[in-house]
This record gives sequence, structure tokens and C-alpha cells, in this order.
Amino acid sequence: MTTLHVISSSPFSDNRLSSCLRLLGHGDGLLLCGDGTYAAQPGTSHAEALRALGEGIALFALDEDLEARGLPSADWLQQIDYPGFVALAVRFDKVNSWL
Amino acid sequence: MSRSLLIISRQAPWSGPTARETLDIALAGGAFDLPIAMLFLDDGVLQLAPGQKPQNVQQKDLTANLQALPMFGVESLYACSLSLQQRGLTDTSLAVEHLDDAGLRDLISRYDQVITF
Repeated sequence: MTTLHVISSSPFSDNRLSSCLRLLGHGDGLLLCGDGTYAAQPGTSHAEALRALGEGIALFALDEDLEARGLPSADWLQQIDYPGFVALAVRFDKVNSWL
Repeated sequence: MSRSLLIISRQAPWSGPTARETLDIALAGGAFDLPIAMLFLDDGVLQLAPGQKPQNVQQKDLTANLQALPMFGVESLYACSLSLQQRGLTDTSLAVEHLDDAGLRDLISRYDQVITF
């Protein structure tokens, strides 16, 4: 079964993102929202780790959270809005929120 | 048939109420015969360290709650072997199955619902 992992905390203040990356399986998705979108900051080790994930993992970020933080869009990251968030929650078998 | 639930606990035992409350959720679910499994990940494995003396920091012992898991029907208990190894834990106060990254991916895939605290 596929899982959509949701991360909303900054990768610079805890290790949720790095642990999550180890657990991602083929067909899973990762959605960055809130301070989690800081992982998309260009030139950081987190952005590099995300880019290196490859084809089997779908990467998403909430558009408004990226924009609020002045983060640029990236070709390896699909930007979505809240209706898109809902659509993802339905598309994957389950959602794992890293609280 | 109830949907199966995997609870991932990744908080150290005495840094706040989260570790205890996560265990409470597992025990409550177990009491209602829900198919529940627990995975200890990251600092969550520190809950399993033997010989803790939480009364020294005015906390109640979590060990009793941990030992109660199998009695409440929560018998599928797992820990991340890398998290254990990184924190120097070779011995745990509760019998848990150690899983590598591939094992963790397979575990998460198997359960209907997953929640991480």
C-alpha cells in the first residue's frame, strides 16, 4: 500500500525529514508544508537529498507555504494548493503525518 | 474487520508528555481489540532503555506501561535497529523486533493506517 508522508517542521531543527527519507518506499509520496517547505531551499543538503530520491517517489509542497517563505519553485517538486492536498490524501492508500 | 493501525513513537521518554500519551493511545486501542502495532523510531527507542530511574526527575515510570502493551493485545512491537545502534542500545526492557530500513518500509506498507508522534 502506498503512503503519503506529510512533514510540517523545519528539517534544520529536527530529524523528521531524514528519518522519513529512509522509510520512503517505491510509489510513496512526500508532501512538505509549513516550515517543512524549508527543505526545498536551494543549495542545502536537504534539497539535494530530496532531488536524489528519483522517479519512484513523488514530491509535493504546498504552494502558499513556499511563497510565504520566499522559496523558489523547483522542477523536482510539484506545487499544490489545498484542494490538491485533499486530492493527494485520497490518491494514496494512507497518510502518515509526522506530528 | 477493523483497520490495522501502526503507531510510530519517536520521542524520548522524559522530554515531555508525548511518549506517555502515545503509549496511552496504543493501550486504549488494544483494550478495544483494535489491531495495533507500535514502532519505536529515532529518540523513541530511548523509552526502551533498561535501568531508568524516572523518579529522579519527578516522572512516573513508563516501564509498566510498556510491559502492559502485550497484556492489552498490542503484541506487534518493533524498533528501528539503526536508531538503537546510533544511541548505543544493545539491550531493551521490552521484547521488540529489530528492523532495518527495508523492514521498516515493508512494515509501513502493510498497515492500513499509520500515525507518527
